[in-house]
Amino acid sequence: MESSSPTKKVRAYMNPYLAGVLLGLVLLAANFISGRGLGASGAVKSVVVTSVVTVNPHAAESSDFIRDYEKGHTGNPMKNWLVFQMMGVILGAFVSGILSGRLSLKTEHGPQTTSKKRLIFAVAGGILFGFGSQLGRGCTSGSALSGLAVMSAGGILTMMAIFGTGYALAYFFRKNWI
Amino acid sequence: MMGPLSVNDIISGDTNFLLAFFIGIAFGFVLEQAGFSSSRRLAGVFYGYDMTVLKVFFTGGITAMTGILLFGLFGWMDLSMVYVNPTFLTSAISGGVIMGAGFILGGYCPGTSFCGAAIGKVDAMVFIGGLFLGVYIWGFGFDLWKDMYVAGNMGSPKIGEWLGISDGLMALAIVVIAFAAFFVSEWVESRMAKSGKEN
Amino acid sequence: MKPNFKPILILAAFLLPLALIIAAVPSDSIRPYKLTAAQMVQLVNQKEHFYSADQVASMLVAKDPSLQLIDVRSPDEFEKFSLPGAINIPLADLLNDQYTDLLNQDIKANVFYSNGTLQANEAWMITRQLGYLNNFVLEGGLNYWFETILNPQAPKTTSPDEEFARYNFRMGAAQALGGGGGLSTESTAKPMTPPAAKTSITPKKKKASGGC
Repeated sequence: MESSSPTKKVRAYMNPYLAGVLLGLVLLAANFISGRGLGASGAVKSVVVTSVVTVNPHAAESSDFIRDYEKGHTGNPMKNWLVFQMMGVILGAFVSGILSGRLSLKTEHGPQTTSKKRLIFAVAGGILFGFGSQLGRGCTSGSALSGLAVMSAGGILTMMAIFGTGYALAYFFRKNWI
Repeated sequence: MMGPLSVNDIISGDTNFLLAFFIGIAFGFVLEQAGFSSSRRLAGVFYGYDMTVLKVFFTGGITAMTGILLFGLFGWMDLSMVYVNPTFLTSAISGGVIMGAGFILGGYCPGTSFCGAAIGKVDAMVFIGGLFLGVYIWGFGFDLWKDMYVAGNMGSPKIGEWLGISDGLMALAIVVIAFAAFFVSEWVESRMAKSGKEN
Repeated sequence: MKPNFKPILILAAFLLPLALIIAAVPSDSIRPYKLTAAQMVQLVNQKEHFYSADQVASMLVAKDPSLQLIDVRSPDEFEKFSLPGAINIPLADLLNDQYTDLLNQDIKANVFYSNGTLQANEAWMITRQLGYLNNFVLEGGLNYWFETILNPQAPKTTSPDEEFARYNFRMGAAQALGGGGGLSTESTAKPMTPPAAKTSITPKKKKASGGC
């Protein structure tokens, strides 16, 4: 079934439904252990807040955003559930990459575009996603997936908005991918 | 022993962080094994050539959802202590729209970009750079979009409450919808593979 | 390439039955069962966890299999006197693992009793806080049971008819249950129907769980 595996040497990807069940169990474990879902953008936020405060200690006073963040968090912003979880994600993905022979430095892009263009779009996409995840109070993991698991109305709305927009814009950016 | 363990003080805060690390390892491992470290595979869901994202995402969502409700039913977990994402109508939709645009442009979402970067995908590393920039811009101009951020606060409703049906029925409906989506995506994938051969 | 639906069907075989179970179970039983202090106070005040003496007596006379009397007094006291069919679980042994299956099921209604209502109420509060919904308390305890069921006072001749009906029932129950009572000038041949309002036994369980 894994016809889309890029090369023969690397091990095939896991069956998506099996991977989904495992992902669901991880999410269930997060809820059972910590009473919360998974996330990614929150860790980025912690790092940004930490670096801004480190570089410019006065920033905390001038920015409502940082004040808002510090109101909800006590102590070191890096000592945060999501920061620990994201460190695990990096390690887990790295181990998986080693085991499946997928560890290599490369830029992926569709056949009709160049690496340079791909990277420019990647930055633009990153900026939008970073911004959007703050506005939407969580990204695909934190809001859409974890929200779906607890049937949060907002999480499911955000999920529909993400994928709906993706489909609506897919035609205009098709050359990047196919 | 009743979950959530950290909320009920069965495990300490530091243990909770340690377990967060292990949960992260499992999360990253599964995402990478599913192929979420590849932007082309992720973007495939929008063109029909690879529906992995939809399959993994929904299977994960309905598995966890069913599990959480069953845990609640068996009394293993106090569902009132589980975090339910709050709903701010304006920002939930506009944030989702911006993220959707980011997805189709960048080919990653934050979680998957870290997976991609971990196995050496340069586009993923650049995407992460963009993420930091995006969050920084958000924080820098927070005053400009603060009103939008807090508009339409509706508390933390569950989707079933909106539709006036019980959580259990809503869960069943979501599971059925997910399976319908799985059948459609298998069918679309096979159609795309066929047309790809003909071209 | 033909679509391969097999993995979906395997997944559906596992998930759909679970989802059906969740959907079939009333939503309020998915709610957290641990009560806050305020909820407990409300529940105690509603007094819906009480089974009246008449109700228990009528169930005993009818040999209602859904009733399980539980004596929470000490084994000594239990030896001296106990209600028919009662089993002895001293309050100290309540959390013993061997009783869990008995205390946490939804087939029989467990009715705790002690001399007064204090110990029985304690047993009920403990089990209720554990989320067991099928436990109740004999209202008034054994003391009241002796006064009303086993040694009923004949009502005054001026009393309303229902008083007599109740008295007749109690007299009959006392005889059937081997208590005092003795002979009565009143006709015991009358069917032993307790006052109508007190006979309903089935909806009681529902109310207790729906009240929270």
